[in-house]
Amino acid sequence: MYYVKKLILIFSTLMLLGCGDMMDDLDPSGSDNRLPVVAGSTGNMPGQIVADFSLKDSLDSDFVLSDHLDGGASRADVVVLYFTMWCPVCLAHSDHMLNTIVPSFANRGDVVFALVDYVSGSVAATRAAERANGFANSAFITLSDVNLSVFDQLNGAMGSVVVVDSDGTVLMNEDYRNGVALSAVLDQQLP
Amino acid sequence: MKLRRLHNKMLGVAVLTIAALVIFQQPTLAASCCGGGSGTSLILPKFSKAMWDLSFDYETYDGFWDSRGNWVADPPGSDLNQYRLNLGYAHRLAPRWQASVSVPYVWNQNQYANLQRDTSDIGDTSVSVWYEAFDKIMCVWDVNSWEDLMPAVYWGAGLTLPTGTSPHDDVQDNFDITGRGAYRFDLSLLLDKTVYPWNATFSANYGRYLERSVNREYGTFVEPYDKQLGDRFNTSLSFGYTYFTDAMESLTTTLAYAYLREDQARIDGATDPTSGFRKESVALTVAWATADRDWVTKFTWSHAAKENGWGRNFPSTDIFTVGISHVLR
Repeated sequence: MYYVKKLILIFSTLMLLGCGDMMDDLDPSGSDNRLPVVAGSTGNMPGQIVADFSLKDSLDSDFVLSDHLDGGASRADVVVLYFTMWCPVCLAHSDHMLNTIVPSFANRGDVVFALVDYVSGSVAATRAAERANGFANSAFITLSDVNLSVFDQLNGAMGSVVVVDSDGTVLMNEDYRNGVALSAVLDQQLP
Repeated sequence: MKLRRLHNKMLGVAVLTIAALVIFQQPTLAASCCGGGSGTSLILPKFSKAMWDLSFDYETYDGFWDSRGNWVADPPGSDLNQYRLNLGYAHRLAPRWQASVSVPYVWNQNQYANLQRDTSDIGDTSVSVWYEAFDKIMCVWDVNSWEDLMPAVYWGAGLTLPTGTSPHDDVQDNFDITGRGAYRFDLSLLLDKTVYPWNATFSANYGRYLERSVNREYGTFVEPYDKQLGDRFNTSLSFGYTYFTDAMESLTTTLAYAYLREDQARIDGATDPTSGFRKESVALTVAWATADRDWVTKFTWSHAAKENGWGRNFPSTDIFTVGISHVLR
């Protein structure tokens, strides 16, 4: 009995030490706690306008977001940014996007599909990772976020996907999950 | 004769303790990018009252298998490690019943070319109940009849509590993750047979995660949805040999093969084709037990071959474990 009491004491202590985050999982909430955003304000949440940014792609060319928005030299209907750290989950998402999402919308407007590499630290390393993972010469542009500037700006995370409309409005910013949400956004947005 | 029976009993306890320690070093979903740090089950030796177990894992990552089962290297400049301190306790409830709990504390150490994150938190807690389908020690010195070949059979039920930090908690990013974020129920079977000095064990485990609501991803609130991780199956087979010193201390060497598979998850009822994984690994354990079998010290090296086909959608890792168990009579 002594040991049982001791165990309960240790376990309770551990629970209390981490109870802040722990309760989110022990008793998960289904409430919609999204904070309201002011439509048209600058930010990274759906409904907000994303601030312009510039990154190098894996071929050392400049990728400027505004170039792909209304008024830009290479306007697209939608820009899709996927944050990758070249992990199993990232690769599964990227493969799914490449083999399922991209072909589904191939004939519906112009879409920029970009992988944002935020871990490699240099354009050369991004190029090497892109090749090693089989995405060189694919439908993806691979961007090298050397200083984590876009990662921070868009509140990126492993496997998150951000969709930007041609007027710069964020349409989606969440985990890729099974691709259903991305597909729905593209279906709604593309001609 | 009485002495021989006592001797058998002590040896049986020792061998089973070591076998159980080896067999239940289940491969964890340990990558900090994927969650992990779940505890392991403990098996209490027959006729003993309780057992403490303290172990420390060092898991180092080296590449991963993609969704086609091809092994892929990590990005250059990356150094990914996880450390786990596991505290376990098993207690006898009745002659055939025992219960155990295991709590890990997890440290994630991730170094990429332009990013370093060191984080730590408690992992997922495991609680188990085991039924022993036998009343006497099933270990024998000689096989004289078919009954001598009967293994010790254990049936187990487990519950994994999502006490770790998951992607659905208030976290900065994936490097903070130490748990899966969902409850899981498990049913387990353990077969153990010892014909001195040889030992063989087989285990199988089937687990089902409960569906949960999700309203947050990596700290950001999102439109709520329901998520259910895929069913999990793992099995292992091990063979061991025990050497006894003149003082009846024992040194047991065990080789084990483990197979782990998790099915695809479901999001709002729809299958997530990007999820699910598989991993195969082999492990070598060396365990030292004192003459009274009350203390067992172990070292385990679990290795996943960095070859195509040994896994899918999962990191390939080496896990080094040192641990000590103390049995209370």
